[in-house]
Amino acid sequence: MNKRVALRCLSILSFLALWWLGSLFSAPEILPGPVVIGKTIVDNFTTPGPEEKSAGFHMAVTLARILFTFSVAMALGIACGLIMGLRRKVELAFGYWIPLALTIPTLLAVFLCVIWFGFSEAGGLCAVIMTVTPFVAVNMLAGTKALDKELIDMAHAFKADRSLIIRKVLIWQLMPYIFSAFRYAFGMTWKIVALAETFGLKYGIGYMFTFWFEQFNMAQVMAWIMLFVAFMLVLEHGVIGRVEEKIFAWRPAHAG
Amino acid sequence: MTSQAVVIEGLGKKFPTPSGLGEFTVIDSLSLQIARGSFASIVGPSGCGKSTLLNIIAGIEPHDSGEVRIASEDGANPRARIGYVFQSPRLLNWLTVEDNIKFALEAQSIGRGDWGERVRKYLDMVGLAGQERNFPLKLSGGMQQRVAIARALAIEPDILLMDEPFSHLDEITARKMRVDLMRILERARPTILFVTHSLREAVFLSEEVYMMSIKPARIFKHLRVEVPRPREPEDPRLFDLEKDLVKEFFAVLEQDNR
Amino acid sequence: MKSFTPEKLPSFLSAIGLLLLWKALSLFFLPTFLPSPLELLNTIVSIFSTASAYLVIGKTLQRVFAGLIFSMLIGSSVGLIMGLRRSVGTFFDSWIMVLLTFPSISWAFLAVLWFGLSDVAPIFTVVLIVFPYVTMNVWEGTKALDPELTDMATVFRANRFLLLRKVFIPQLMPYVFSSLRISFALSWKIALVSEAFGASRGVGKELLYWFQGTRADMMLAWGASFMALMVLIDALILRPWENRVFSWRQTAAT
Repeated sequence: MNKRVALRCLSILSFLALWWLGSLFSAPEILPGPVVIGKTIVDNFTTPGPEEKSAGFHMAVTLARILFTFSVAMALGIACGLIMGLRRKVELAFGYWIPLALTIPTLLAVFLCVIWFGFSEAGGLCAVIMTVTPFVAVNMLAGTKALDKELIDMAHAFKADRSLIIRKVLIWQLMPYIFSAFRYAFGMTWKIVALAETFGLKYGIGYMFTFWFEQFNMAQVMAWIMLFVAFMLVLEHGVIGRVEEKIFAWRPAHAG
Repeated sequence: MTSQAVVIEGLGKKFPTPSGLGEFTVIDSLSLQIARGSFASIVGPSGCGKSTLLNIIAGIEPHDSGEVRIASEDGANPRARIGYVFQSPRLLNWLTVEDNIKFALEAQSIGRGDWGERVRKYLDMVGLAGQERNFPLKLSGGMQQRVAIARALAIEPDILLMDEPFSHLDEITARKMRVDLMRILERARPTILFVTHSLREAVFLSEEVYMMSIKPARIFKHLRVEVPRPREPEDPRLFDLEKDLVKEFFAVLEQDNR
Repeated sequence: MKSFTPEKLPSFLSAIGLLLLWKALSLFFLPTFLPSPLELLNTIVSIFSTASAYLVIGKTLQRVFAGLIFSMLIGSSVGLIMGLRRSVGTFFDSWIMVLLTFPSISWAFLAVLWFGLSDVAPIFTVVLIVFPYVTMNVWEGTKALDPELTDMATVFRANRFLLLRKVFIPQLMPYVFSSLRISFALSWKIALVSEAFGASRGVGKELLYWFQGTRADMMLAWGASFMALMVLIDALILRPWENRVFSWRQTAAT
């Protein structure tokens, strides 16, 4: 176990070292070094930035948008996936919309929604929800197809009522699918929020990307990218990983 | 009327053919009566519809013709309690052993106050005292099947259905389980309908043996095993009985194939 | 073409319903805001009756395929290297994990700042987003390599190079391929984003141009036709190719 941790640390350190070396040999507008970026990030938090809004403000705005759209997309996606999985007619009628929706490029979805909703908050958020929901629905649909009929028969043989079957038999079988949808949908959501903030929303991390990009300020652009990536890494691996471990404690440990 | 726990008359069941275009008859005019408190085995080759018969009795498969009547102990309660032990344990792997049993208790609307006591009593009966908090996947196949048996017994059923419960276990574990089953059932005596493809198992475990043939499924012979309990697995009387039954079986199978 | 079975009826009906709903909605808005199905079709036809439209599509396709090919090559190589030694794998795992976390716009921005408005920028963006996926797939593949085959080849004194060519790479091909279609789907979407930021000419640029002109009808026309083309490429080229590569895996019919 220790070897793995050591390798990971070495990996991170060597990356920083390479970066620093690279920055020594290039102009600061091309590749600013890690120290410069670090300082920029700190400055962004401690001093009010453009329009008197600090980095903390933008991060909060982005996080709020992520949480909102993610919750809505999960709820809608799970509902749609379940309905399609449990009612064959519905699946036959509307199933093909999902691959269609999944093919729509995010850029187009953002552009269209922003225009249709008049450059408002609703437009950007709608684009995100529209893109993530079919993804969640597909996962749930796959989950319903994998339900073990033998266990459902067993529950019927013991005369369990519908509520009991849903609570104790179905939901747990669907958990892995809900979870994998959760993980990947989360990854998708904030990338699309970032895109929506770039083109159609005011304030937020994506908004700051564009702002500094238009000023050709490489240091700031990189600073904001690093901030975003670090933030998301902490959320994805820190928080989600922990929750997953608890929920799946009943599974036998994987070899290796 | 309440002396018979299970009465089946003229039962018929059809399944659609794999291509979906026609039907074939799995069960045809099957009649059967099981007396209360008896241990009855149904023996037949694989695929003759034994599991389907059990599923119909349990109410999880509909039948096409005929009647199935199940009476509870006191006749006053129209819905008899049915416990079912399947070929595979069919446990809910994400629930602990005790929660698996409580699942059945909740399904049967048994009062929560009784749960703790029943879980302890029946886990102890199957030899799994202390395993309450474990998850099924941490137990061996034999132990999982014992949990399934405890689950079925815990609801104190009028009728216990068992569908080849030991066929997926290795021979040594299966032998031990048969002996243990006899011991357990001395303490709790529901009416038992035990399905198996093994004549030896049927003859060892039960008092009434019904022999079933295939295509379509029907009962062609019924006999009583008069050997008193407790029985030894190596009892020569059981062995003789088995020999005779095997002969009869082959005769019938040959007739069916003509 | 599959025959029209009763099972297809619900989807057919819902498609008709959708088209009717669309037509009904479009009556309330300007055609530049929400065109009706027929108006959209007209717009598409008029766009593609000019030669320049094909040049635009061609440019984007060039970048998509270049990006895809580089991603597959780089991704497979890195994945293979990561698989050869446990420690190497763990070392690069963190880098790949971080790379997977980058949003496409971040690379799009950096690429334009570094490479200007050239072809390199979109291709670079595509490669940096897509190759980590390929790497992860191929790395998984190396973990599943059959040691018995390696042993057999060693007993027959196969050298490193032969081992690589005839034993490792064929076993890894399914993993390389399984990422092909997904990588393609990802590549063209990223190419569009990247072009929107900085390219001289391309479908993404068109989308941006019409976005800035608030012309939803033109965006829909370009978007829908490009999407259709991508779906066609996937259905007519990639999927059959994938089926052929995997045909040896078909066991006796179940």
